[in-house]
Amino acid sequence: MKAETANMNLWHQAARTTTLVGAVFSGIFTGLLVWNLVGSALIGPTRENDLAALKVQVQKEPGNQELLVQIRQLDLQIRRDRIWRWDFAREAASMLLGSAVVLVVAGTFAGGLAKKPPRPQPVAERGELQMREARQARWSVVGGIAVLAVGMGLLTLTRWVSFVQGGNGDGGTPYASLEARQAQWPRFRGLAGAGVSTHANTPTSWNGKTGAGILWKTPVAVPGHNSPVVWEDRIFFSGADPNLRQVLCFDGKSGQLLWTGDVPTGPLPAGEEFELMEDTGYAAPTVATDGRRVYAIFPTGDVAGFDFTGKRLWHKNLGRPDSSYGYASSLETYQNLVLIDYDQSDGKDGKSRFLALDGTSGKVAWEAKRALPSTWTTPIVADVAGKPQLITVADPNVVAYDPANGKELWRAECVGGDLAPSPIYAGGLVLAIQPYSQMVAIKPTGQGDVTKTHIAWKAEDGIPDICSPVSNGTYVYLLDSEGLLTCYQVADGKKVYEHELKDQFRASPSIAGDKLYLLSLKGVMHIAQVGPEYKELGRCELGEDCFASPAFVDGRIYIRGAKNLYCIGGTSVGSTPDTK
Amino acid sequence: MTRIACTAMFTLALAVPCLGAGSEMRFPPPEFESGYQFPETARPPTARPVVHEYIDVALLAVVLLLASYLILQRRSRRAIFALMIAALLYFGFWRDGCICPIGAIQNVTLTAFDSTYAIPLAAAAFFVIPLAFTLFHGRIFCGAACPLGAIQDVVLIHPLRVPHWLESGLRLLAYTYLGAGVLFAAIGGTFLICRYDPFVGFFRMTGNWNILILGASLLAIGLFVGRPYCRFLCPYGVILRNLSRLSKRRVTITPTECITCRLCEDACPFGAIRTPTEDWPEGEYQIAKRRLAFFLVLLPILIAAGGWGGYALKERLARMHPRVRTAERVFLEETGQVTGTTNASDAFRTTGQASAMLYQDATAIRSRFALGGALLGGFVGLVAGGKLIALSVRRRRAEYEADPADCLACGRCYQYCPKEQERRKQRRDARSGRGNR
Repeated sequence: MKAETANMNLWHQAARTTTLVGAVFSGIFTGLLVWNLVGSALIGPTRENDLAALKVQVQKEPGNQELLVQIRQLDLQIRRDRIWRWDFAREAASMLLGSAVVLVVAGTFAGGLAKKPPRPQPVAERGELQMREARQARWSVVGGIAVLAVGMGLLTLTRWVSFVQGGNGDGGTPYASLEARQAQWPRFRGLAGAGVSTHANTPTSWNGKTGAGILWKTPVAVPGHNSPVVWEDRIFFSGADPNLRQVLCFDGKSGQLLWTGDVPTGPLPAGEEFELMEDTGYAAPTVATDGRRVYAIFPTGDVAGFDFTGKRLWHKNLGRPDSSYGYASSLETYQNLVLIDYDQSDGKDGKSRFLALDGTSGKVAWEAKRALPSTWTTPIVADVAGKPQLITVADPNVVAYDPANGKELWRAECVGGDLAPSPIYAGGLVLAIQPYSQMVAIKPTGQGDVTKTHIAWKAEDGIPDICSPVSNGTYVYLLDSEGLLTCYQVADGKKVYEHELKDQFRASPSIAGDKLYLLSLKGVMHIAQVGPEYKELGRCELGEDCFASPAFVDGRIYIRGAKNLYCIGGTSVGSTPDTK
Repeated sequence: MTRIACTAMFTLALAVPCLGAGSEMRFPPPEFESGYQFPETARPPTARPVVHEYIDVALLAVVLLLASYLILQRRSRRAIFALMIAALLYFGFWRDGCICPIGAIQNVTLTAFDSTYAIPLAAAAFFVIPLAFTLFHGRIFCGAACPLGAIQDVVLIHPLRVPHWLESGLRLLAYTYLGAGVLFAAIGGTFLICRYDPFVGFFRMTGNWNILILGASLLAIGLFVGRPYCRFLCPYGVILRNLSRLSKRRVTITPTECITCRLCEDACPFGAIRTPTEDWPEGEYQIAKRRLAFFLVLLPILIAAGGWGGYALKERLARMHPRVRTAERVFLEETGQVTGTTNASDAFRTTGQASAMLYQDATAIRSRFALGGALLGGFVGLVAGGKLIALSVRRRRAEYEADPADCLACGRCYQYCPKEQERRKQRRDARSGRGNR
């Protein structure tokens, strides 16, 4: 009996020791698994971010072989590390399982050997004990209720998203508000294509040769005549050649290229070549943003939407437009809609149309068929007495639509020829240009055909061929490509003055505060006082050809030269926009 | 010397599985530069024949029949343990922990709320058969057939007693989990119970890290606390425990009459043995009556408060629905409140649907969660109030007995009863007597 007991003790001690060994091994392998998990959680994302940054960098420097080698090495390292960690986890998990099995078997064995027969002790007051247990249990349930209540309370503090646009706790809409857009430069020539900045703190002095007054200058590899568009600290424009179409985004603070987004296209029909006039180029239309996404269209008929991180959200091809000089109408936005004037050829083949695409998906929201020929003007959405009107110009009509649904509001047959200058809305009138011929002021309050009833006045002197007009509401300034600046009164069309600038122009004039900015083809900015007489305030030379119209946002001017993007102005930002 | 030999034997047992784990890496994996050719993509597994589902159902019925016999007739813990291990291997490791009656709650719920959903026959059978057996014989499914219970049972090496009061509080979790599982299956578009099945990762030898960690934690707790998932979380256990109260022939500690020897008092690692009650002291009855009246008044208040709380959480609860989550993400992206996209938002956009439609769907789902959340909250309030009432009612017991609701029919308590020992001895004697003849 004694020997049997001694033998039992030995088995028990051995089982206990093995249990301990199993527990230690289990602890070690658990620790190794945790170490592996934490390591992959900490190191993995850092390396992948580095790789992503290198991939962005290589897009800027496609020929940099060293960078390519670095990317390949890092990519290999990441993959090796991931496989190693996966193998390690599998190994450690197998070991842990083995250890745990030993722990449980030995522990159960040891427990069984150590089990002592029950020896109930006397209980003095069982009734009292049971009452106490019940009381404690009730309090425990109350505690459980309290824990659940606290949990529910904490859950109510978490954020949720209301789909009520604009009027919820998140304050978000799928497009920026009009107030936000007024402070930015969201499309060609700013809000409503007016060429007017709401900021008055615009620089008046810089020099491209010395670099004075220039905050930064960044080379642009992809060509394009379209103009920069600005949303907060992001600068967007597009570039293209016969084989490539890109949207580019630059950092407004540093000028660094943040991302480029490619826009694909389909192959050309066999035997066809895609060539455009050099003056138009392969990226004439300016991009547009609704404050959430940026949209671009190219003469290939490809239109695409990108988010602000450069991810292409959608792309579609509208069919290659038949446009004699090359498609050049820029995009406009209204709420979440991207508005596209897609008039082409002679307008008789049924291809001309006006499209509104949903900016989030690229789906056609509405479409208006038009029997109008090619136009190179850009449509505008004007706020006419609190109601938006989409105003388009194509030979021979100025047509206004409801931008929400494409319903035609009015039309006036008053322009003709190859139309390039875009319309503006100023002083309660729509001002449309027939190149070299006339400027027509239309009251946008009619319905149907208003040709005979709502034309306020016409002017025939100094009519531009390319540049769009600009107005402060009192005066409207016309600038032709040979440098003739003509000023009219908006109210009655009376000519106020004309002035020869002796320079050539492709960029449209702009107004910031009380200053008129006129950027010449040679990159000279003529700055004049807005008023009834020409008063020069300064001339600033950039030293580079400029086709695009500049963008004016909060103390800065962004100018796209033929080869570089410039940011003119100081570092101070934060002026209050004049929204009047 | 013997001690060293024993220790060496156990350590060897430890080393064997570890060696097996390492053997696979004797040959290094192919290097990227080695020109390694990846094998052809494997074909997707073919669908499991339906006949296998019928076999599963039949096996479940057989296991439960056998368990009923072993636990009630043979009263054999060893046999029940062996059956439990067999069920663990088949329903757990062989069948990957699916299908099980716990998850089948959601299939049944979805059938009730979604007319387009047809419940698989196996799921319906797995849900109903254990209930039927429970109604007659108590929780024999938990004791012998449930792979989730079995995996916890085998790791229980040093059971510690959980105080009665703590057990009462923790049990609220299981009711809440059941309510949430039903709610999300009915309108939430997700099978919450399956999603957070803590042991399925072990059965399948793979899975989400978070769930594996949850399962490992429960097993680690289970080394010392008997079946923590079954007792404090299992939603199917909630149904079984309440049905088991109605069972006519269920586990009894003693095969004949209780002699109140108190030997079985601490026998149950799951705290399911109830002691005989004694009369309350004088004066306690009046207090108890007032307390009971207070809790009866409190009950509707708790239901209303829970309902209100659940209603207030409707937007948060609705986030469990994948369509609502996608809608929220798409909305944040479209309103510029977040940058970048997710797989879900990208996938939505490829469908070409208008985002307004998505928001409309999400809003409709949220409104369903208003009612669902209120019902869930009301249910939790009802359970909490009911427990308070139940804990205020005096119970009368003259002998030691297994609590019909808490007893998991494992048969551990049998060996502690002297009457049971006597029965076994008589049986052995009878057998040997027959043998001698």
